[in-house]
Amino acid sequence: MIVWVVRRVAASIAIVWAVVTLTFFAIHAAPGSPFMPENSENIDPQTIQRIRQKFGLDQPLPLQYLFYIRNVTQGEFSESFALHRPVADALAEAIPHTFLLALAALLIDFTVGLALGIYQAMRERTAGDIVLGNVALFVNSMPTFWLGLVLLLVFAQRLSAFPVGGIADPVFCPRINSAACVLDFVWHLTLPALTLGLVGAAGTARFQRAAMLEVIRQEYVRTARAKGLRERRVWLVHALRNALLPFITLVGLAFPFLLTGAVLVETVFAWPGMGQLAVRAILERDYPVVTGAALVTSTMVVLGNLIADVLYAVADPRIRVRGAGA
Amino acid sequence: MRTPRPTVFAAVACLALLGSCERRGGCTGDHCGTLVIASAGEPDILLPPVSEFAATRDVTEPIFLKLADLGPSGNTVGDEDFQPQLAERWEWDAPTTLVFHLDPRAHWQDGQAVTAADVAFTYQVYTDTLVNSPFRSSLRQISAVTTRDSLTVVFRFRQRYPEMFYDAVYHMRIMPAHLLREVPRDQWRSTAFGRAPVGDGPYRFVAWKAGQSIELAADSTFFLGRPYIRRLIWRFTPDQQVAVTQLLAGDADAIEVLITPDNVQRACADPKLACYPYKGAQYGYVGFNLAVPGDTTKPHPLFGDRDLRRALVLATDRERPLHNVFGELARVPPGPMSQLWWIWDPEIRELPYDSAQAARLLKRLGWIDSDGDGIRDKDGHELSFRLLVPTTSAIRRQYARLLQESFRTAGVDVQLDEVDFSVFNERARAGRFDALLNVWNTDPTPSSGFPQTWTKAGFGRSNYGRYFSPQVDQLVDRAVSAAATRDQARRAWRSAFETLNQDAPGIFLFATENVAAVNKRFTDVRIRPDSWLALVRSWRVPSDRLTDRDRVER
Repeated sequence: MIVWVVRRVAASIAIVWAVVTLTFFAIHAAPGSPFMPENSENIDPQTIQRIRQKFGLDQPLPLQYLFYIRNVTQGEFSESFALHRPVADALAEAIPHTFLLALAALLIDFTVGLALGIYQAMRERTAGDIVLGNVALFVNSMPTFWLGLVLLLVFAQRLSAFPVGGIADPVFCPRINSAACVLDFVWHLTLPALTLGLVGAAGTARFQRAAMLEVIRQEYVRTARAKGLRERRVWLVHALRNALLPFITLVGLAFPFLLTGAVLVETVFAWPGMGQLAVRAILERDYPVVTGAALVTSTMVVLGNLIADVLYAVADPRIRVRGAGA
Repeated sequence: MRTPRPTVFAAVACLALLGSCERRGGCTGDHCGTLVIASAGEPDILLPPVSEFAATRDVTEPIFLKLADLGPSGNTVGDEDFQPQLAERWEWDAPTTLVFHLDPRAHWQDGQAVTAADVAFTYQVYTDTLVNSPFRSSLRQISAVTTRDSLTVVFRFRQRYPEMFYDAVYHMRIMPAHLLREVPRDQWRSTAFGRAPVGDGPYRFVAWKAGQSIELAADSTFFLGRPYIRRLIWRFTPDQQVAVTQLLAGDADAIEVLITPDNVQRACADPKLACYPYKGAQYGYVGFNLAVPGDTTKPHPLFGDRDLRRALVLATDRERPLHNVFGELARVPPGPMSQLWWIWDPEIRELPYDSAQAARLLKRLGWIDSDGDGIRDKDGHELSFRLLVPTTSAIRRQYARLLQESFRTAGVDVQLDEVDFSVFNERARAGRFDALLNVWNTDPTPSSGFPQTWTKAGFGRSNYGRYFSPQVDQLVDRAVSAAATRDQARRAWRSAFETLNQDAPGIFLFATENVAAVNKRFTDVRIRPDSWLALVRSWRVPSDRLTDRDRVER
């Protein structure tokens, strides 16, 4: 098991390195250049040249790459061109926001998705199953930003039940007690988390329904029924336990989806997370922030998958055996 | 399943209604207002010498003072229309020597007095090549700034010209020497002071939550009078539409500009909002590249021909796309100018819209549709060019499509090169385009920006199309440097614009008119067009209109 885990960790590090390297060369190869204020008449080419020298952009690209890798291995992320502050500081502020958003969305995704999937499987081919299946397909087909805009329009602008954006009320939050501020945060989190979570939940429901139906036809379930167990117990204890196994894989797969979805949702809801930071950095050709964001994001995705793999191996010894033999 | 206790619902419901809950107590009186501003842009750093973002200007305006500021007339010539800020008075010792006397009551928010040494230090910083201030070139006519005593500072100019006073006071916000002297000049862009500044203005910095908000609090000891609004809070969004939605939903109180006619209609129809139109600082145009793309030594095969450029201008109906895109929120400019400029004059002569004359001119130049495909051609080449447009601007993309269609009816094929802003800028600077749809944000006067964009002095800078006319350069030089009076300067500028218009280096499409929206509980709202929050110190919320947002303490 330890050898297997070590091997997986090594592979994960290699993947992160590959992503960062590709991102570094891709963003430098992209047309456009940093340090260009929009619509300003006061652009001084000499000023821009001096700033390029300061950040080492006048050096050959392979040399810049070597410097970058050296700095990253030493835990230094350089300074943002556009934000005028260390990239590590900007990332450290944005990561918790995205992480909390992803976590809340994941909670909605799996709670709603699992419940719907089980409900549909237990009522296979009934009107409820068919209606819910179509609703899930409809929601799953929606682009996340569109769903976000609809929720924003209905619940924030029309009904004023939720705030339009941001993570906290800038007037009241600093002036009320911290418990109320936490509730304020949850209030601000609701719409973006629902946007991300509901789209994911629709997919999870379809996946879980199929998994439940596959398991329910197994012989051990028939045995359980033959032993006279109540139908509810057969479904929720015997069938669900085994149907949850592929669900662990889904956790690993959900992470990249949530992080990419967060880019759009964070823009719609003015949520100051990694996605918003990365989009702004790409548009402004803020190379250190783009590569820093790629490093953090790929690490989070790889880590999510690694945890899912480990959990899967713990839950199903056959995976370990096959992995060790390979 | 357990039912959640009613208290949980009550707590959530109360929180949800936080904005509308009527609570007793809190601030009362004339100095209680809280202004929440929805902003689609966030400052990069709160240090005026190193940033020229509009968002930075807005936030630093109430923190740092100038020696004097523009008056309501917006007149930048002479000194009579300027209003004292840090300087309580000034006089001219000689034609090129200007002496400022600082107000002895002025102090930094840490208690130190503002001195002449701060002014001299500020000038050194703004002109230091290591600091790389974007305003450095605007101070090139000032040869020295020295101190006479702790409250007297002397500006010396290289020559006499109409906007000497404007140059001395408008570009520089005075910095605290005692807090910044030790910061190495090449590290000004990342100094910690830039994220928690100490100023001398009516508001002091409180907090900056990156990506979320910035808060300023009124300085009740401000020497020019205590501000009425006690808190200014900017809420940042990555998108203008989200900012407008925040305003309409009541999450914010004010927005600088509504941009689209649709937003203006919605905001102005909202009973809780008041709209304030004011002159815009932007103008947009199609700029022709007079040189071969990427090779400045050869004339462009199409736009090197003055008559062809004139024909294209004559063929363009500028009113129709303007009304399609902006409605009443812009005007066709009489040349490359914003409405903000004091020389704005619709009587300035320009080429009219005359499609018949355009067709005759094109035919005379040999551009006829010989193969009946609807596009004019000559010597086997179609009359076709590519128009560079940034994808980040919805307005410019919309304009580009309307122009494309308009040119097609004149027998001209236009292909759109839509690229993101960074690429647009890079290609514009390198001259790698046939024509581009550009927008400039201007200063209150043409003297600083115009020479960089439409004269030889702008080659390699902002004169992307490399337009050059010795006559225009001479007239601009006369307007900027030699005119003795405002009228003389106006006449020189007018001649320069009329000469430029006849050369048709571009099609000048729109000069914006801005509309700000502010919650109606705010009164005494006055907006200065060059900086919409410059007069925020005098805005107020009458005590009978205070809401919880205004009253909340701490």
